[in-house]
Amino acid sequence: MFTKKDLKRISDILWEIPKSYRSDMRVPARLYSSEKMLEDIFRDRSVEQLVNVSTLLGIQKYAIAMPDIHEGYGFPIGGVAAFDVEEGIISPGSVGYDINCGVRLLRSEKSFPEVKPALEALGLSIYQEVPSGVGRSGRLKLKGKDLDSVLMGGAQSVIAMGYGEEEDMTHVESEGWLEHAAPDCVSERAKKRGHDQLGTMGAGNHFVEVGRIERIFDKTTAQALHLFENQVTILIHTGSRGLGHQVATDYITTMMKVMPKYGITLPDRELACAPFRSDEGKNYFSAMAASANFAWANRQLITHEVRHAWNHVFGQTGGTLHVVYDVAHNIAKLEEHEISQEKKNVVVHRKGATRAFPNQPVLIPGSMGTASYVLIGGEKSLEESFGSTCHGAGRRMSRTQARKTIRGSVLKEELKQQGIVINAGSFPSLAEEAPSAYKDVDAVVDVVHQAGIAKKVARLRPIAVIKG
Amino acid sequence: MSYEILKHTADIRLHVTANSYKYLLSEALAGVCNTLKEHVDKSSPEIVRNAIVESADRTALLVDFLNEALALAHINKEVYIGVIFTHFSDTALRAQLTGRGVSGFDRDIKAVTYHEAEVLQNEEGKWEVTLVFDI
Repeated sequence: MFTKKDLKRISDILWEIPKSYRSDMRVPARLYSSEKMLEDIFRDRSVEQLVNVSTLLGIQKYAIAMPDIHEGYGFPIGGVAAFDVEEGIISPGSVGYDINCGVRLLRSEKSFPEVKPALEALGLSIYQEVPSGVGRSGRLKLKGKDLDSVLMGGAQSVIAMGYGEEEDMTHVESEGWLEHAAPDCVSERAKKRGHDQLGTMGAGNHFVEVGRIERIFDKTTAQALHLFENQVTILIHTGSRGLGHQVATDYITTMMKVMPKYGITLPDRELACAPFRSDEGKNYFSAMAASANFAWANRQLITHEVRHAWNHVFGQTGGTLHVVYDVAHNIAKLEEHEISQEKKNVVVHRKGATRAFPNQPVLIPGSMGTASYVLIGGEKSLEESFGSTCHGAGRRMSRTQARKTIRGSVLKEELKQQGIVINAGSFPSLAEEAPSAYKDVDAVVDVVHQAGIAKKVARLRPIAVIKG
Repeated sequence: MSYEILKHTADIRLHVTANSYKYLLSEALAGVCNTLKEHVDKSSPEIVRNAIVESADRTALLVDFLNEALALAHINKEVYIGVIFTHFSDTALRAQLTGRGVSGFDRDIKAVTYHEAEVLQNEEGKWEVTLVFDI
């Protein structure tokens, strides 16, 4: 188990595990955290997982952990690592099973006092309109060329079907699609697993959340994003559903089989990988891009469903729900970064981490009783973290413990007392996602703000939460 | 029941023990299916699915078999309550899964991961493995 003695303090919010800590480390590991938050981080095996990442072939500069780091499988959640495209690897387990799990924020033209009287009706309307839970089908059931067009075109493909506006695309990371997607690299099984899941939220920590902007930190940026105090917003958190899960499973199995051929040995099998330039690496990169496109299409279709629910409640007086931005937080992307004063092409793996290029909006969902944030990518992100920041509050309590110690019905009542309307599929699932199961999102965001990798723009407080 | 849920911050960690390697797979399957759906309507018709898996070693065979069953469960919306192995070795198997249809699942398991997974025979001769499910 790690202790503070194993870390070298770089600053008040940045810590380093030197390369000498373990003989198989290729680069040092760096961790963004306040001194106080370290105690929580040391409770699980996340730092050990970060050290394992530092051993991967072709890794550049550092294996990096954000302050919302917690134990995952193989690669820690809240982790960032960049690999040389010529000499390095690509690793499906280091992207995760929910490829392009991400967040989209919509802004309304209404303020909280205007929405408050209809809040119960709005929560219920969204719950009825957006299918949630495990095993529930969506309104679109696509096969063959229709599904392939979504895998190729992402959000644009469902907008072309009438589920959104052209303008939506301009406010999405990578404009809602990755051009190197290849549907042929996605197995028939993955397509079957996801074919009826477009426009569905799923379960676990996925949600749709109605919020109000309770504080603006950066007026200029907030104005540029058309955000104002007390404005009602809607946050959508979901990913590529069963299709992405199966793509990850398929390619982790493939990588496991071919690693001996490439002479790759690992401290944890879940980090299974292949050289980026190998056939297996290229095929995974194309299949991952297709899954990412599916996820952007999914959030686009949910946007359509939320707009439908909004119009159902407010009619012609509701105004328009505009997309503020949409970010992926489980993805691998080909990017150019400056390393040792030279521009270099690298594959940046972000697992539970968000791209935060300077002046790019960043969305940080918190827990259902606390807050979420709008940030803006900071100047230091490119130099320090391959243009990345945190992705959320980060869990601190296990799901099992949450189910044992928190009663969903009591939690729902407590949240109601705080003015938060809950529509959830089951009380045990609600208990798993209780605010006390998560770290303090304010403390997480304070660290990345202080580090200069992402700066605070606005704090959103939930007023209605819709979950599977 | 020869499996128990252990602590994991974000996901589910399952420890499984059994008297034989083959039985370890059956018990792990029960752990997966009970996590997906605790109560299954036994009046619904029984369904049989075939699974064929080949892997590099015992641990990979176990994980790959569970992911095969998981994919079938999600695609067909059913859970499996029994398994008969018609061929079985350390690196390959053929199985008949018996299950029932469900309208939905209690929990999502995105995948059974290889993280920490290592099939071992302990000093008492029992087989055991610890598995992490991505939730």
